[in-house]
Amino acid sequence: MVMFKLFTNMMKEEWRVHSTMFGSLSFALFPVMIFGIAFMGSFLLPLFRAVVPPGYLAIIIHAMFLLLGIMVGGFGLLGMEVMNRRFGQASLLSYSARSLPISEQEIFCTFVVKDTVYYMILWVLPVVAGFAFASPFIAVPLSLPLLLLLTLTLAFLTGLALIFFLSTVYSRSKQVLGVLLVIMAIGWAALSLYTGIGPAALFPPLQLFYTFSWSTLLVACAVVIIPSAIAVLLFTSECADTTKRFKNALVPLTKKLSFFPFPPLAAKDIIDLLRSGSFIGQTLFSFLIPLGLLWFLLSVLARFLPPGDILLLFAILTGVIASTMYTWLTMFDSFSSYTCLPVSVPSLLKSKMCSFAVLQAIPAALIVFVSLASGGAGFLAPALVLCLSVSFYALAVTVWLTGLSPSVLVYDARVLLTYLLAVGVALVVLIVLAFVNPIYALLSALLFLPAWLLVKASYAKWDMQDQPWF
Amino acid sequence: MSFMEIKQGIIVAQGLRKQFGDVVAVNNVSLSIGQGELFGLLGPNGSGKTTMIKMLTGQIRPTSGSATVLGLDVKKDPIGVRERVGIIPEQETPPSFLSATEYLDFVGEVRHIPDVQKLGDWWFDFLDFGDKRDVLCKDLSRGTRQKLMFTQAFIHKPTLALIDEPLINFDPIMQRKVKDYLTEYVKRGNTIFISTHILEIAEEICSGFAILHKGKLLYTGTVAELKERDQHLDDFFLSLVEKDGHV
Repeated sequence: MVMFKLFTNMMKEEWRVHSTMFGSLSFALFPVMIFGIAFMGSFLLPLFRAVVPPGYLAIIIHAMFLLLGIMVGGFGLLGMEVMNRRFGQASLLSYSARSLPISEQEIFCTFVVKDTVYYMILWVLPVVAGFAFASPFIAVPLSLPLLLLLTLTLAFLTGLALIFFLSTVYSRSKQVLGVLLVIMAIGWAALSLYTGIGPAALFPPLQLFYTFSWSTLLVACAVVIIPSAIAVLLFTSECADTTKRFKNALVPLTKKLSFFPFPPLAAKDIIDLLRSGSFIGQTLFSFLIPLGLLWFLLSVLARFLPPGDILLLFAILTGVIASTMYTWLTMFDSFSSYTCLPVSVPSLLKSKMCSFAVLQAIPAALIVFVSLASGGAGFLAPALVLCLSVSFYALAVTVWLTGLSPSVLVYDARVLLTYLLAVGVALVVLIVLAFVNPIYALLSALLFLPAWLLVKASYAKWDMQDQPWF
Repeated sequence: MSFMEIKQGIIVAQGLRKQFGDVVAVNNVSLSIGQGELFGLLGPNGSGKTTMIKMLTGQIRPTSGSATVLGLDVKKDPIGVRERVGIIPEQETPPSFLSATEYLDFVGEVRHIPDVQKLGDWWFDFLDFGDKRDVLCKDLSRGTRQKLMFTQAFIHKPTLALIDEPLINFDPIMQRKVKDYLTEYVKRGNTIFISTHILEIAEEICSGFAILHKGKLLYTGTVAELKERDQHLDDFFLSLVEKDGHV
């Protein structure tokens, strides 16, 4: 009874965390949006089947749900840290319940069940429901979405169980975790070599999707249950000491960045990015992987569009994604850190945009690489100009709409709609121009003018407003 | 020197009001605090003390009314105010990924303090947290973060410091040390404005005080006046807020 009460309250808490961050209505519509995307995306399946090797899509979607499980588990474990950075002082039930007469194992077990149920409702069910509703229209038997419900659930739970298991081991000993990871990697590779099955296809939920059998189902369930049970049994709230000491990097960096308008702020941005792990993590998960997926999706259009147009379209979309690098610079930087210092909001915005400009070397390098690798060297200049113009323009719109809190305010429905309109219209015009003649894509440089005006307006706008306390 | 005589308007607030949506956090507060005072803004939780400090330091804009701090208008020149004063916010929030030393260097760069490292060394030693200088702020205990925030507020030797709950995370030894420091600090002609709900602190170290309740200023006076009337601050405080309808 106590555990059920704890479970229901944890569910409410999880909902309130998300609805506080993203707004109640916006967040309530999230599963509906996922359903819509899955439903409409299902109609593209026949198109994908024509260009993608069989089974490839199954690997991608199962990998995505495995990753989702890992991310959800990771967020759950780092939840307190994230909440504290976002909201100042925060406390979660999984921590505060320790003052109640409930064992830590029970709290952790309830936490695992809560994460499972909550994210099943939020992600797994809408995806499968969208696919199921579309299945009659795309000649897919209804048994396939049902099988997918089972295998995606198992893929998600495997990710969740894996991260809980590994984090439990980590809290006991970092060395044991290292050894365990090496053993798991070697074991996986050895099994793949021994059986002659590709490493991805060894993933039990995927095997189950390819060929359903009760024994495979048993193995897939065991892969979820055993690590989860070990995690609950071995759970300890006392973590191995993670306190690290760092040499002073701020002073030398500030000197090196003396050409920036606000060298100490720029130095702090770089230190934040590197020490939070954001630089590698975000580059990989928020930039390269989505763009890899995008390139893959655009390649489907190769039958309809010339390669040059695909490259220019890719450059435009890369610009949009590159503009989100602004959130990398603001997500770990609470404005409350500056309230006791003589730093104005416009100074902070200027500094963040300078750091952003430096980060644009990443999308620029990617466009150069993709242009050369895809044989589109002739389109390099327009592609590069397109990408950077779009990125800076979308940044200006973001700054104007969200100031120093893009990762929170962008989920406000009105802000999001305005952003989509302001950026969307520009994108449509640019796509049309680029398709008419690639040289016209150079006109995108004109976007720097509205961008500059928007940034100037943003300084005045955000200087006049109380900063939201997140 | 009496309370009225020393008033030279280091902080002058006229009809300050702050409204968040339908909630009036601070309602028509007027105050004047003179040089050399250790002034305590007292009130129960949620009475508007933090909002008051945020307005006086230009962190948030008053909905109406005006205030000057060290002669500067907090609405027109909030950065000028923050340049000249030291501030310790209620929540100790040094940047997560800078070490304690780096944070002080950062403050030094932003405030253009030439010998910040030397000054920082003195504070590490004085507040006894030199062993934490290379630890990231996110890994510091709340008490150590409070020491760091205390250091950043005083490292540029401001003539006025505004402190929200000054001793809340300190152990008794550190509380004594900090109280002595604050007392000495005002003796040198500086001014300190603290907000607290711990009345013993106010009674022990403050010269003047004001009582804020539900955003309204109920009383302004001196601790000496209370002593003359043989009254204790906690009795006086409770009688006032109860009269004002505190449950």
